[in-house]
Amino acid sequence: MSEALNLANNPMLLEVENLAVEFDTYGGVVKAVRGVDFSVEEGKTLAIVGESGCGKSVSVQSMMGLIHMPPGRITSGSARLRGEEVLGRNELNGKEIRGAEISMIFQDPMTSLNPTMTIGDQIAEPLQVHRGLSYRQAFGEAINLLEMSKIPEAAKRAKQFPFEFSGGMLQRAMIAMAISCKPSILIADEPTTALDVTIQAQILDLMQDLQKETGMAIILITHDLGVVARMADEVAVMYAGKIVEHGTVDDVFYRSAHPYTLGLRAAMPNNDPARQHELKPIEGSPPDLFAPPKGCGYCARCPFAMEVCDKHHPQDYFLGDHHFSCCWLHHSDSPTKPEELYFKENS
Amino acid sequence: MTDIHVSDFRPLQRRSDVHGISRPSLSYWEDAWIRLKANKRAIVSLYLVVALLFFTLLGPLIWTVDPGLQDLDQISQPPGTDRSAEIVADYIAWDGVDPSAGSGARVIDVPTTQVVRLKWDSLPGANGHRVYRNLFPVGNEFAYGIPVGEYFDNAIDFHEDRLDLKPGRYFYSIVALAADGSVTQTYQTVEVDVVRVTTLSEAREQGLIQTDSDLQIGDSINLSAHPLGTDYLGRDMLSRLMAGAQVSLSIGIGAPLFFVFFGVVFGSVAGFIGGKVDQFMMRFADFVVALPFLLFMILFKIAFGIGPGESGIMPMLIALVLLMWPATARLVRGQILQIREQAYVQASQLLGAKTNYLIFRHMLPNTLGVVLVTLTFEIPKAIFVEAFLSFIGMGVAPPTPSWGSMSNEGIKTMLTTPHELIFPAVFISITVLAFNLLGDGLRDALDARMRNQE
Amino acid sequence: MGWYIFKRLIQGIITVWFIATATFFAMHSVPGDPLLNDRAVTPAIRANLEAKYGLDQPLLTQYVIYLGNLSRGDFGISFTQENRQVNDIIREHFPVSAILGILAVLFAALGGVLWGSLTALYRNRLPDYIIMFLVILGISVPSFVVAALSQYSLVTLNNAVGQTLLPVAGWGTILHMLVPAMVLGLSTMAYLTRLMRSSMLEVINSDFVRTAKSKGLPPARIFTRHQVRNAILPVITVLGPQIAVITTGGFVVEIVFAIPGLGRFFVEAVQQLDYTVIMGTTVFYGAFLVFMVIVVDVLYGFIDPRVRLK
Repeated sequence: MSEALNLANNPMLLEVENLAVEFDTYGGVVKAVRGVDFSVEEGKTLAIVGESGCGKSVSVQSMMGLIHMPPGRITSGSARLRGEEVLGRNELNGKEIRGAEISMIFQDPMTSLNPTMTIGDQIAEPLQVHRGLSYRQAFGEAINLLEMSKIPEAAKRAKQFPFEFSGGMLQRAMIAMAISCKPSILIADEPTTALDVTIQAQILDLMQDLQKETGMAIILITHDLGVVARMADEVAVMYAGKIVEHGTVDDVFYRSAHPYTLGLRAAMPNNDPARQHELKPIEGSPPDLFAPPKGCGYCARCPFAMEVCDKHHPQDYFLGDHHFSCCWLHHSDSPTKPEELYFKENS
Repeated sequence: MTDIHVSDFRPLQRRSDVHGISRPSLSYWEDAWIRLKANKRAIVSLYLVVALLFFTLLGPLIWTVDPGLQDLDQISQPPGTDRSAEIVADYIAWDGVDPSAGSGARVIDVPTTQVVRLKWDSLPGANGHRVYRNLFPVGNEFAYGIPVGEYFDNAIDFHEDRLDLKPGRYFYSIVALAADGSVTQTYQTVEVDVVRVTTLSEAREQGLIQTDSDLQIGDSINLSAHPLGTDYLGRDMLSRLMAGAQVSLSIGIGAPLFFVFFGVVFGSVAGFIGGKVDQFMMRFADFVVALPFLLFMILFKIAFGIGPGESGIMPMLIALVLLMWPATARLVRGQILQIREQAYVQASQLLGAKTNYLIFRHMLPNTLGVVLVTLTFEIPKAIFVEAFLSFIGMGVAPPTPSWGSMSNEGIKTMLTTPHELIFPAVFISITVLAFNLLGDGLRDALDARMRNQE
Repeated sequence: MGWYIFKRLIQGIITVWFIATATFFAMHSVPGDPLLNDRAVTPAIRANLEAKYGLDQPLLTQYVIYLGNLSRGDFGISFTQENRQVNDIIREHFPVSAILGILAVLFAALGGVLWGSLTALYRNRLPDYIIMFLVILGISVPSFVVAALSQYSLVTLNNAVGQTLLPVAGWGTILHMLVPAMVLGLSTMAYLTRLMRSSMLEVINSDFVRTAKSKGLPPARIFTRHQVRNAILPVITVLGPQIAVITTGGFVVEIVFAIPGLGRFFVEAVQQLDYTVIMGTTVFYGAFLVFMVIVVDVLYGFIDPRVRLK
């Protein structure tokens, strides 16, 4: 469908197709990611949303070569950066991708920095390695980057160790480190989960400012729909190792097509007094990925489940150019349509 | 997707049990046991420990040889030596007459473990002779071996060797002495193959034959069996190893039981009371840790003293307990402090739980895993200490056997009869190994933090 | 940092006082009169000692005199070697033990870090299995057996070659020190290898190593600057107590290899019940160990910024 169109008009920066990852564990093989597609355009933000353990972090970490293999294993898929295959290798045309083309920040800044190296040294490292700068040059650049990340007294702070920083400051330093080589993609893996709410907003603002300045794309992994609404251009909703709905922010928020997305939204607080509603949790828990269900993974928790959902996995139904949903409700034989459910929910 | 019908799009009829997760939930100990069972090394070690306990406790009931009994016909015998011995007449002193009238250095009669009779012709320029015995040929370095006889008179030209003879090959050297009595390089060597013999009276004494037996001189009998050989005093190695196991394990397991228990009490009291008392108690523990351990083990051992006829096990136990408790105390205190801060303890407190309840319901059960692991690791340490002290002669008093003191005795004859060192050393090593591996397995099974590591 | 070192030194001195006190009362609870039950005490020594320690005085007075002497660094006169100062004995024999100990600690620390890192990097593969098997052996076989066996192999080796490649016993050249130091350091090396391995595994799975990988750093740089540097910290913290294990473990090696160190001298003194030598050596060893632990802790502070800057 629109894929060809997309390629012609606005070439995708990164395209991931049919990515599947497994882990050998004590209890058996966990199929953590079961065929995931997503893509991100230059300068845009893609948010991947889902609850803990749905495979959103594993998807990007496997792409970055950050999962331990073994026990991890990429069983299928491809990831193309500007059309060139990068999955399973960390270099493109002899140059390291990580840190230079794609960089990453993580959930817990407290543990994500080396406790025995100064902040400045850690920021300088990628510059020395990828840009070939001398230590002195790189350190000077690190101070500039800290200033860009709005850390006061950057020159002094650069000589300090992680334990002398607060959580928010550390995440700023992480961001400074990630953008040091002007990557085209920044992957932020739950960047604000471990931080206070006020700090969260500052960090998100910083990321947006830097995106405007450098034009990088952001892949934002989160379980916070508020963060998604604030940051994302496109949203992929992930459940049990699969993407169940994908679309623009407006598509996903205002024209939610998958019952899981509906459930997430019903569980999310709203600060608009006119649309206050009682928060409704999604009953039950995600399926056991040691033995993924034959049908739809959400079937057991879905209030609209039909017999077909238990037996067969649904295909992706396109509801717009970018908007698809992976649910049997969109099948022509289905007696109800999600749109109806959606309006019923909101009435 | 041809097999999809409109009928499939009916709402799903759920069974009521759809929601639950099917995996059964396991208690902490069940879970740990499953993990331990999956760890082959730990299970093999567990079997080894059980086997050692059988060896120690039931072994002496099956192999009833007295560990103190000396078998003088079989001294320092390696295992598997041929036990048959010819019966010879009782020893009668020899007057040095050679019935065959040979010449040069020579052996008279059949050389036996009872006696080796040597005769020689006076060496040129000799002012007397000295007789040496060696296990190897003399060689260029004039290694004669150990002296067994010395005669400053050239007229005496014979020697009877009855010293500690074993079946096998000996090299006897007759060495000429210089005028000042020093050894010269003039010598003659005889190669002698000694045959194992015993006498009727000895055999009767040892209960090898009945008093009314019609065995004659020249017949051959089997000497008493020693599956693992004998030591340098002719004592049975197997029975000594069993007796030694009782000593080594009673110290190695007994002492940790005591001091781990003391450490748990000390540590949990300090951790639970907290504040100044805790500070003071832990400072004291720090001091004890700072004592140079082995030196103080020795010091305490001297201070308690070993009276005559005592085995020295008690002083060693006391010294071990006095010096080794602080490690457990620190560990348990740390655990208690951690657990005290846990939300579930605070919740329990808010619900009105009494101190006793908190200690026995929350704190102790949660430290039990750590304590069990510590205990398993302290056992090999204590066994090592016992072995070490006995090795330097500061352990149990002879004749009480322990693996360490047996090693100490064995090391002296390491070059000629290595089995006297190897058996006790192997027993120490296997015991320590088994407890260490079992401890590793227990720690991995019980310690949640380590679970994802290996 | 200066304040920290000062505080540690004060603690150390208190600890040494505790050790001295424990030694004093342990020795004075030895049954019988220390001067009577020994055959080797000459009237001259007896007079000297009685004057020096006031052996006729009440216990507490003796204790005060003893502490006074100690604070001046005076350990007294040997009971069995006429008029020989314990200080002289220590001065003569301790350097030998110290050199042996330092070599053993170096050997153990370098080996432990190297093998530990290797096993962690090759986890669950052949090199890991082989090294860990040897490590388990090193932990399980008593030091005197290792000492005896290595001496036995030295004898065999020298016999096979027909000349003395490495001396079997004695002291003097670096060749004399090699094998004893290795034997002495072996169990500590095995212990440190295990520690380094688990610490390295923890670091390999840590978030900051993941960050380093996501920065695209070459593996060698990740290994040296991020992994080893952090994984080595727990190894350094146990190095202080391990030095204690090694120096006192020196007894066996010194006996087996006939090395004239303080350990062997101590064992002889114990066998002869030479009270002042036993007390002097114990207190001296204790003080030495206490300050080694402080040195290691201060050293640790320079490597781990979290300690240095607090």
